[in-house]
Amino acid sequence: MSRFLRRRKFCRFTAEGVKEIDYKDIDTLKGYITETGKIVPSRITGTKARYQRQLATAIKRARYLALLPYTDNHNE
Amino acid sequence: MRHYEIVFLVHPDQSEQVPGMVERYSSLITSGGGQVHRLEDWGRRHLAYPINKIHKAHYILMNIECSNEVLEELSHNFRFNDAIIRDLVVRRKDAVTEDSPIKTAQSREDRRPARQEAPKQEAEKAPAGDAAEASSDDKASEE
Repeated sequence: MSRFLRRRKFCRFTAEGVKEIDYKDIDTLKGYITETGKIVPSRITGTKARYQRQLATAIKRARYLALLPYTDNHNE
Repeated sequence: MRHYEIVFLVHPDQSEQVPGMVERYSSLITSGGGQVHRLEDWGRRHLAYPINKIHKAHYILMNIECSNEVLEELSHNFRFNDAIIRDLVVRRKDAVTEDSPIKTAQSREDRRPARQEAPKQEAEKAPAGDAAEASSDDKASEE
């Protein structure tokens, strides 16, 4: 019987009362992409739906401006 | 008049042209009855992935208020200026004037050498507190 001790998930943006997720805030966005550059689903991070939608657009904008990678496999 | 946020990337070889370009666009906006609320030069930054085999680009951020015609002219300029490799225009509800996260991160980095002494002591204390907290949390969830 191996029960994992899981930490309770919570939405950071709700807790902090963030008004709008900024695509220029790379440090925050980096916490919500995987090593391969994918957006982490809200069922893993616990982000509320409203913020997950904002997060997705923010990450996509940041990717377009080459602030974040689309993948870890870009030809260097 | 609407509020827009514009970010554009300039080819690193054309970095010297940036002040002139910004000047031109600002005058275009103001002559059209608009206003520039925020202007930030992030300088040359490393790109997360190469664009047209370029690895670095000069970033400019502008928050402006302008009419539709002026914006159209601006984006037309962006498209046909070879020095601009990418641009993003986002509509905003209000004028934004405070520093963007990237600008604040940059200025923090500039100041870091001067403040290296103080945060070190805090850092020593912090991990111990965190560890204690984490273990008590684990216990709580176990029950």
